[in-house]
Amino acid sequence: MSILSDLRFRVRALFYWRAMDGELDDELRFHFEKEVEKHRAAGLAEEEARRQARLAFGGESQVAEDCREARGIGLLESVFRDLSFALRQLKKSPGFAATAVLTLALGIGGVTAVFSVVYAVLLRPLPYPQANRLVVLHEGLQHLFNEADLSAPDVLVYQRESRAFTGVAGFIDQGYDVTGAGEPFRAQAERVSAAMFPVLGVSPLMGRTFTRHEDENSAAVAVLSYALWKDRFSGSANVVGRTFDLDLRPYTIIGVMPQGFETPAGMGAVQTHDLWVPMSLTPTEKAAEADEFDYGVVARLKAGVTMRQALEDAQRVLKIIQAKVSDAHLSISMRGLKEQTVQDARPLLRTLLGAVVLILLIACANLANLLLVRAAGRRREFGVRMALGAARRTMLRQLLIESLLLSAIGGAAGLGLAAAAVHWASRVLPDSLPQLGEIAIRWPVALLAAGLVCATGVACGMAPALASAKAEVLDALREGGQAAGQGRSQHRLRSTLVVAEMALAMLLVVGAGLLLRSFARMMETNPGFQPDHVLTADLSLPTESYPTQEKVDEFFSSLAQRVKATPGVEAVGFASGLPLASDYSSRAFAAEGYVRPQGESFLLVSSSFVDANYFQAMRIPLIEGRYPDARDEQPGAPLTIAVSQSYARRFFGGRDPVGMQVKCGVNYANKMPPMTVVGVVGDVKPNPVDRFQPMQTYEPIAQAAADLGPIGNRIGVISDMDVVVRTAGDPIALEATLTREVHQADPTLAVSDLQTMEEVASSTEAPRRFNTWVLTSFAAVALALALLGIYGVLAYSVTERTREIAIRMALGATRGDVEWRTLWHSVVLGAVGVAVGLAASMGLTRYLASLLYEVKPMDAPTMTGAAVVLLASAAMAGWLPARRAARVHPMEALRSE
Amino acid sequence: MSDSQLDLPQGTLDLLILRTLSLGPQHGWAISERVQQVSADMLRIQQGSLYPALHRLERRGWVTAKWGVSDNNRKAKYYELTRSGRRQLEAETESWRRLTSAVALVLGSE
Repeated sequence: MSILSDLRFRVRALFYWRAMDGELDDELRFHFEKEVEKHRAAGLAEEEARRQARLAFGGESQVAEDCREARGIGLLESVFRDLSFALRQLKKSPGFAATAVLTLALGIGGVTAVFSVVYAVLLRPLPYPQANRLVVLHEGLQHLFNEADLSAPDVLVYQRESRAFTGVAGFIDQGYDVTGAGEPFRAQAERVSAAMFPVLGVSPLMGRTFTRHEDENSAAVAVLSYALWKDRFSGSANVVGRTFDLDLRPYTIIGVMPQGFETPAGMGAVQTHDLWVPMSLTPTEKAAEADEFDYGVVARLKAGVTMRQALEDAQRVLKIIQAKVSDAHLSISMRGLKEQTVQDARPLLRTLLGAVVLILLIACANLANLLLVRAAGRRREFGVRMALGAARRTMLRQLLIESLLLSAIGGAAGLGLAAAAVHWASRVLPDSLPQLGEIAIRWPVALLAAGLVCATGVACGMAPALASAKAEVLDALREGGQAAGQGRSQHRLRSTLVVAEMALAMLLVVGAGLLLRSFARMMETNPGFQPDHVLTADLSLPTESYPTQEKVDEFFSSLAQRVKATPGVEAVGFASGLPLASDYSSRAFAAEGYVRPQGESFLLVSSSFVDANYFQAMRIPLIEGRYPDARDEQPGAPLTIAVSQSYARRFFGGRDPVGMQVKCGVNYANKMPPMTVVGVVGDVKPNPVDRFQPMQTYEPIAQAAADLGPIGNRIGVISDMDVVVRTAGDPIALEATLTREVHQADPTLAVSDLQTMEEVASSTEAPRRFNTWVLTSFAAVALALALLGIYGVLAYSVTERTREIAIRMALGATRGDVEWRTLWHSVVLGAVGVAVGLAASMGLTRYLASLLYEVKPMDAPTMTGAAVVLLASAAMAGWLPARRAARVHPMEALRSE
Repeated sequence: MSDSQLDLPQGTLDLLILRTLSLGPQHGWAISERVQQVSADMLRIQQGSLYPALHRLERRGWVTAKWGVSDNNRKAKYYELTRSGRRQLEAETESWRRLTSAVALVLGSE
């Protein structure tokens, strides 16, 4: 009974404390009035009666507090009350609350969002069981490259001979035209060894994967990706056993992989594949000893085998290979799959993390500043409350709860912001970031954010809370509410915080400036051709219908004629790869009369096969000699080649390059047939312009097989070509025409990557545009926060010094003087911050070097520009408080005190 | 405060309040006045202890509180003894009697 009523009372106390507080007030007031009445009845005057009653009464708030305690206020209720009190306090100053919450949301949201990306890409394990046991193998060819993929025959040797792995799986991308599954389309497929799925440790969602027997016997079986199964077979349950055509050959579907499954990519990017077919190396591929290092290899370490032991085993197998190919010096290296996957993304992620930490620091400094200003402004209020008997402990608790509440609201807003940002990022981030599909806010991220919230709240809330709790009651109550000493030291602390904020913001502005300058440089860079008014598309002719190079060439030249007949079309050309798109093969060409100095390594160039009209279509300038033309396409014509200016300069030096000869391979003394240089053309950028650029060579496509002499037949038919159409008008208007012409020529052919050359260029700029954009917005946020900081300090100091300003004005200072003094204060704060930030930038920008393009980390214009931006912003932030200071009316201000 | 005033021994405040309320519902001020009168001004309950004590007793379920109208027509909070409060008063009165007689015995034995 007693326990029950006790509980009921406590619950009532908890939920109706406001009403109960009101009751308590009424009750105590009634008592007080009765007391006054009594004294009056005893003959005291009204005034004296009240004084006596008040004396007898003691501290009212103390009594109220004791009553609350007696009523059994648990921790819960007092927290509840403090929370509600804090909410009311925040409501009273919405400006402060909004700024603080915004500051926190930006800090916490940014950290959480970027950490989510970093976590998904860098920290989260690969989506395979025991992914740390997966390794990739790379072969090197002395003087040429250290880490390429493997040649096809070597994949087989490693599968057969190695002992350290549970399985060794080869893989190579291949596109197929898919027919018999809705509209014809070009599928991104991958040929993989039968060992691939067991090595990765992933089972199919339905059906099965390949057997070794199917792999070795070129069985026409395919495993679908989840996405393809849903899109093209509408997720049908009986898809297994159905057939469809890949490059006109019927394939049987034997399985579907689970959602989100993806095979490891080769070096660099992760692609998504539509389907997988058995590797089934052709006799031609198997014969390519020490050539075409294009086959990726992933393997799983046997239990108990260390990386070192596995590498030793791989080197043992290499000796077996080396024994067969005596003229090449091969090497083998091995890396963890994970290490390779994240390698490219690392500099970007580090930069983003760094930027976000800076933002968080600025946000914390800003919050501390806001709370300090607020605490200083409330000293008088605290003084009054202490004088009325409030316990220091209670007030500390209230301040702490207030800052925790702010942190919680800011944290919640931040998490919302992070969720939105993560959602947005997974769509906008460049595809070169691996595991993009995996990005989502996760528990570790949420925990980290929660930790940040609490740490921020306690750190920023405690300092001002302690400072104000120390405040002496009398000091606080003294006229004006400010004790000079305390005010000055607090002011110094706040100025230091503002300077720190400015310095951190300076760092970010410099970083963003460097990236912006790099981006501008990239945009200014001439790619070596004219990308405007050009439409491109990728056409891949299936070997079944186009078995010879003649058939392929015939198709392309008749297509060119038909497209050329379209009004407005100026030129139609073909090439085996497009510039900027890293779409070239790396080959070595030995130049006549060039003696490689001792110790100099071979140079690989970007090699393309082109038709006679490619250069006109791209408008690549001719420097010397002539473009390859129709003469070179005649059967039996002498072998010719065009080289880029950089190649000519490098290998022919002062000699006239036209008429000189080059050969495929690393050594001119080999048995390859010589090709005559007929022309020197301007350099283009085979890779995105901010990357390394190899020199270029162009061989007429009609001569492709002959150029390679004895091994010419090995490369087979070059049937995958890019069409390049230059038009006088809008290239996009030509898209329909081109597709129609292709389908009229061959209805089974898929037109893929239909895009203008400007779109190609823009997509290669996308990663840099993204980096630049992100860092610039971070810098903008940082700057905004820092300016809020400066503004806060100045605005408060103007309020604080209204009296002083008034006295100055009364003593003859002009409004201009006053305005200038405040503005000067702001500029000085800004300048000190800029100086500190500049010093820090000089030490830190070198870590950005790998993200820069043609801009030095210590770029003087960037540093100067950043300093100017910050100082100007500081002056702007100081302008409003300065105006307010100048508007102080001396007489009013002095009278109101 | 006169010299004749006594300090209240620990635990006796509850007893005094319960005893006062056993005569009928009262508001806080009346309770303190009554104790002061009956004790011939020797006992005086400070407001600082009276109200917390009342709230404590209410929490324990020994008294209940109701808002009523005082003699001069003002809203006042009246406290009333509950049944368990009455039992508590009896128990406390009994133990107080035993305590005082025991103390008296000790003091008287000299």
